[in-house]
Parts: sequence; structure tokens; C-alpha cells
Amino acid sequence: MPPVGEKINRRSLLDVLLAIGVVGWLASVLFPVLRYLKPLGVQTQNGPIKLKGEELSKLEKDHSVIVRAGAARIVVFEDSTQQLRALSAKCTHEGCTVQYVPGESVIWCACHNGRFDLDGRVLAGPPPRTLEKYSCTRESDGSVVVQLGRGPEAA
Amino acid sequence: MSAPTGGTHPEAKGLYPWLDRRYGITPLIEFLKHKEVPIGSHSMIWYYLGGITLFFFTIQLVSGVLLLAYYQAGESTSYESIRFITTKVPFGWLVRSMHCWSAHLMILSLVTHMLSTMVLKAYRPPRELTWITGFLLFAFALGFGFSGYLLPWNELAFFATAVGTDSMKAVPGIGEWLLQVMRGGTDVSINTLYRFFALHVVVLPLLTVGIVAFHLIFIQRQGMAAPMAHDKPGRGMKFFPDFALRDLLLWLVCLIALASLAVFLPYGPGIPGMEWELGKKANPLAPAYPGIKPEWYFLWVYQLLKEFPAHLFGMEGSQAAIALVSVLFAVWALVPWLDRDARSNRASPAFTDLAMAALVFLAYLTLKAWDIGGGEGPLPDVRAVARACAYWGLVVAAATVVFRFAMGSARFFDFTAAAALQIVLHGFLGVSYLAAGAIAVLLLAVSLGVRMLRSRNAARATVGGAPR
Repeated sequence: MPPVGEKINRRSLLDVLLAIGVVGWLASVLFPVLRYLKPLGVQTQNGPIKLKGEELSKLEKDHSVIVRAGAARIVVFEDSTQQLRALSAKCTHEGCTVQYVPGESVIWCACHNGRFDLDGRVLAGPPPRTLEKYSCTRESDGSVVVQLGRGPEAA
Repeated sequence: MSAPTGGTHPEAKGLYPWLDRRYGITPLIEFLKHKEVPIGSHSMIWYYLGGITLFFFTIQLVSGVLLLAYYQAGESTSYESIRFITTKVPFGWLVRSMHCWSAHLMILSLVTHMLSTMVLKAYRPPRELTWITGFLLFAFALGFGFSGYLLPWNELAFFATAVGTDSMKAVPGIGEWLLQVMRGGTDVSINTLYRFFALHVVVLPLLTVGIVAFHLIFIQRQGMAAPMAHDKPGRGMKFFPDFALRDLLLWLVCLIALASLAVFLPYGPGIPGMEWELGKKANPLAPAYPGIKPEWYFLWVYQLLKEFPAHLFGMEGSQAAIALVSVLFAVWALVPWLDRDARSNRASPAFTDLAMAALVFLAYLTLKAWDIGGGEGPLPDVRAVARACAYWGLVVAAATVVFRFAMGSARFFDFTAAAALQIVLHGFLGVSYLAAGAIAVLLLAVSLGVRMLRSRNAARATVGGAPR
């Protein structure tokens, strides 16, 4: 670029045009590549999900089961008073999958020893946020339904 | 432009004259004939570590290509094909075992190579770019380890990758984008494996071979760094054949050691972070299992993630931890410019001390990550672990001090003292890890400040006292 006050001559004009051309060329190569690498949006599941037969029997047997809801994972468990609860199974620390520990009535993440209470609030360890809570009910026919898309419920 | 003619007679017959007339290889041979490796007061062993690392990398390329003959990336094939390799393919278990062992040994020799470069100050001008290319290769090696870890698609791989990629969200601004690009989605899935597979078998090998070429060209052009105290041209060992033959012999020893380990311990020594039993297939709907740990060279980061509280300085704990790790890596990369004493070819014990302190710092975190002294059961006693590891951490610190006395470089201990102080405060007095670290860093800053003031005053005194 010519210093301020100096007249733009043919050479410096060509240099600027060339630089713009190179930057434009790089952008037109990089943009499709970056756009290509960014994964497509995943469909989010909003309606209620009903536990399948094998999930129900696992819930029966282990007092807890982890189910898929779109891309998310939800831990459904039965607390010591036989009340059904559902929380996001993705630890808010580094994204490991948490588990229900019936003996201690806590939700525990084995990766970095994070502990949550049964409403998803952090009890100990490094997780920075509460686990999202969903409402979970047992229908009259014995099936278990988790309500999604209502956002976190106030505990 | 005339073609190179080398040094051979135009009429001479045979392969060598034929090649020489076309490509002029005689000057290259002459160069190799006269190349010398400097001999200093320290042990020669440090000069072989780069070559050993290169040897293990070559093993990785060969065994990796062999694994590719059967490995199939895919939701229902990744895990199954690795199991097929280790159970059905003749010597498949050996190839996989060699690949795993060699990976660990390569990291080990690479880190030792880097530490020895640090202690011998071989990074000082004009070799800054050799250090930088070496640092890049270190980063690539970590990338190799991390991306290769996912390929068997077992439980361990799944969670290690979930945690490792999750730390990407700590990158300011583009964190979320980077996370999704790495994972090929919002969560770890088989799409993540496809991306890591491409990274592991194409992108990283190409980049590594390219940077290794630069690293070696730099070393050939400048020669190996002479030791500080013997910087003037002194004794030397002929590179060819004396040094090259020793290199070759050592590689043979390494191959024998590697083969023995691979045969007698095909699934690793069984230390958490250094074992590669295939285990269970990855199941995104299974909870993380107790005792899950990353590879040993990532254990210190894993432990830091545990030590940081939920929030710190307005950041999430994991973000702060990753920021700290990034700063430490940046400092490490910039050492050739930070070490001004070595730049002026003066002894710089402070940076030897920094390397040793880094070793003590990493050792303590790694020991803690192993839950040494934590008793049985899935939830170890955190206080007991901190205390038991503190003993071992101090043993490591003492060992570095002994090593430095043996090396004749025992003049500066501020950094090591700070690292040891943190261990004592945290392990024996029960101060939290971060608070202990903050106290140690504060005292370190005071002591470094006093040193700087003193040396400035001394400089002023000599200038003021000089006759006009």
C-alpha cells in the first residue's frame, strides 16, 4: 500500500487488486470446506417419549434406565419412595453419562466424580450447572412417559 | 541449466556413477563423511532420543498400515473388526499390541527427548525453529493418541472422546462450532469416529511426515547443538559410521524390547491409562463406569479437570482448567524466546529448574489421577490420595534435585520449591489444590521479583562504581 498522500500508481493499484483477489479466492475455497465440515442440524424431539418394553424391564430390574430422546440422553429412575424421575443424563461438566446410585440416592458421574441430588442440583464435584429435569409419569396401563420440550422444571 | 555431474568421471560405469552424473550425490556423501556429533561433558544418551522416537514412529506407520488391512470403520464394524484382528487373524494380536506399545513408547521417548532438549538448552539460537517443529510434533503425537483411542469403538474410547472433545467448548468464540465439527454432531457418535479415522490415518501422518522432514533438515543444516559449556568446536564423533551405527544398534535394542513387551504383555502393563483390553463395545446409553481414565499422558489434564471447582473467576471450572493448560503449553512453546540467558549463551539454571518443576507438577497430578492410596471401592478417599501421592511427589522432587547435582546444574530451585510447596500444602496440610497452587505461585513471584531487583541493583552498582 502506498503511504498516505502519495498518489496511487498503476503498480500499487494492481497489488491491491491482486491481494483482494487472493483473499477472495481463499474465502471461496475455505467457506465450502468449513460449511461442509459443520454437521447438519439434528432433529430435536419435542413430544413425549414412551419407554419401550426392554427399557421398562431394565427400569424394573436396576431402578434406572438411560433412554434416547433425539440426540439427547435421559436417565429415568425410581427413587426410594418409588417415585419416577427423569433427568438429562449428560453431565454438565464434560458431557459424560451419569448414573443413578440407589444406595446413596445420588446421581453420580464416574468421569470426574460429580454428584447431583435427585432433582439434578449439584451436590459436589466440578459440574457447573444443574441437570435438566423432566416430568415423568406412570400411566394407568403401566407404561412410563417422559415429557420433553417443556424446558427445565423448577424444582 | 546444466544437469548435476557430481564428482565421477563422465565415462565411469555402474549404478553410482549413473546416479551421480544425474543427481550429483557426491557432495551429499562428502557432507555425511565430515558430519560430526559434538561430545560434551554430559551423557551422549540424550542425542539418541530423537532417533528412537523416529524409530517408533516408523513402527507406527508400518503396523498402522497392517491394521488397515482388516479394520473397518463403522457402527457395527469398528469394534468387531478389532476383535477379529486380535482373535482370528494370524498374528493380528501381535500387530495391534505392537501398535499400542509403540505408541506409548513413542510418547515416552518424545517427552524425554523434549525434556533433555530443555535441560541442555539445545533450543537456543539458532535452533528456535527446531524446537517449534518439535513442539508441533509433540502436539501431533497427542493428536494421534487421542484420535486413535476412539477407533476400537469400545466403552473407554467413547467416554474418553466425549470428555476430550467436550473441552473444546472452552475455546472462546468458536468453541461450539469446533465441538460440532470435531464430533460431526452435538454428541459423540459414529460420525465422530469417521472424522477421527480420517484424522488418524491421513491428516496427522501427512502433517507429521512433513514436519519431521523440516525438523531433520534443520538439524542437518545446523548440526546437533553443542553443550553450553563446550560451545567452541571441540571433540566430535563422526556421524557416519560411528554415530549412525550406534543409532542402528539402539534401534535394534528398541525393536527387541518392543517385541518382547508386545508378546508378553499384549494388552499393556495393566496400569490405568496404559492398557488396551478391548472391553465392552461402546454404548451411548450406558453410564460412564467407575475408574474410567484417559491415557497416562492425559492423566494430568484429567486430574486438573477434577481439581477445578464448578466456577472460577466467572468462568466454568473446566474452561478455566483448559485455559490454564493452554497457557502452560504456550509458555513451553515459547521457551527459546523466554530464556534470555541461553539466548546470550550463558548458563540458565532457571529454565532447567522450570523443566524439573514441570516434571514434579505433572507427576503429582498423574499420581493423584491413579488414586494411589485411596483404598478399594469406586469412590476413593480424596484426602488419603492427596496425602499418599504427596510422599511420592516429594520423592520425584528429590530425585530431580539429585539428578541436577549429578549434572552439575544445581543453582536455582525456585520453581521446584514452589511445586514441592504446593504438594506439601495440599497433601499434608489439607489446603485445597488450587489454593495451595496460588500460595506457591505467589511466593514464587515474590522470590523471582527479589532476584530481579537484586540483579538490577548489582548491575547498577557495577556501572556506578566504574571509573569515568
